[in-house]
Amino acid sequence: MYRRRRSIFDILDEYFSRAEMLFERAFGSGWDELSSCIEPLSNIFVGASDVIITIDMPYVDRDSVRIEIRDDVVEVLAKTEKPICLDEMGLRHRMGRFNSYHAVLRVPVPVDKDRMEARLKRGILEIRLPRLA
Amino acid sequence: MSEEMVFIEKGEIPKGSTLMVGLPDVGLVGVIALSHIVSSLKMEEVGSIESKMFPPIVVLHGGVPKPSIRIFAKGNLVAILSEMAIPAGLVVPLAEGIVDWAYKKGVKMILSMGGIAVQNRQDLDKPKVFSAISDKSLEKYLDGITESLEEGYMVGAYAIILKRCSEVGLPGITLLAQTFFNYPDPEAAAVTIEVVNKLLNLNIDYSELLKKGEEIRLRARDVMRRTQEEMIRMNKAQEYDIPAIYG
Repeated sequence: MYRRRRSIFDILDEYFSRAEMLFERAFGSGWDELSSCIEPLSNIFVGASDVIITIDMPYVDRDSVRIEIRDDVVEVLAKTEKPICLDEMGLRHRMGRFNSYHAVLRVPVPVDKDRMEARLKRGILEIRLPRLA
Repeated sequence: MSEEMVFIEKGEIPKGSTLMVGLPDVGLVGVIALSHIVSSLKMEEVGSIESKMFPPIVVLHGGVPKPSIRIFAKGNLVAILSEMAIPAGLVVPLAEGIVDWAYKKGVKMILSMGGIAVQNRQDLDKPKVFSAISDKSLEKYLDGITESLEEGYMVGAYAIILKRCSEVGLPGITLLAQTFFNYPDPEAAAVTIEVVNKLLNLNIDYSELLKKGEEIRLRARDVMRRTQEEMIRMNKAQEYDIPAIYG
């Protein structure tokens, strides 16, 4: 079978993505105290006709949700309706105070961003992107 | 290195009791439901499960280190509750260890609390609770309370618990509430407790799980994230598959 020879940029891109993933797995908690931002739990489902992204954002301020799509990257920013403090969860050794969510997700197939539909229900944002033929 | 599970007992495990199990799984249904049950019934900590293969984790509660998998008891109820995601490679020895220990202790039934991921969970106002059983004779016990799971795959600790129960002849029921795959689901935990109340003739108030749903989801986020990594390793998504052979 013929395989396209990968460029050095593809290999470097893959290497850094993997390094980033391993670093995140080892050290990342998704609670970014410096930017007061929480990386929410998320999921991507690639269906036959649509890509469905869901993002879990408890306490989200529904009017503040912003979705941006550039190439194959979907970025979601939202504020929380009240500050979320780690010390209120009993974690006195950490002083984190969080007021926003930030998610960056890579969509694995081409999609039509102009026909994007989004809804927020039960604090879960659902973004539906039709696939390009 | 040994995969053996060591059951450390500090209190009495009553003979003829019902053992409830809550391990991290889809939607963290079992962990949220059982921790609420343990706290509502003020069950006492009577032991823990240890293994040299567990990750080096203790959970601090009130400034005191606690084992990640603890055993609680009160009256004729025993509970095994894990606060850590079970590493995929330890699911089988842990699940079999729990059943073998329960059998030795004279437990009369194992009631596991879990979830079954459904894609339309966001649109369900009240998730349904299904059940899977180790023995057909348990069907009458569940009649009118839950719908039984007749066909399908189960993957993970609850699957092994049920299989082992069937092998040793210990009645085993797994409750499976419709839930999200990788988001903590206090509503699914609440409907699970509703079923547990009927099965065990209890009267546990679960309204707090619904009132504090968002706080619980946020607090459970990190355990869910670790659990998701382990679920991917054990190919949990196979539960969406349809078995090729009927009956």
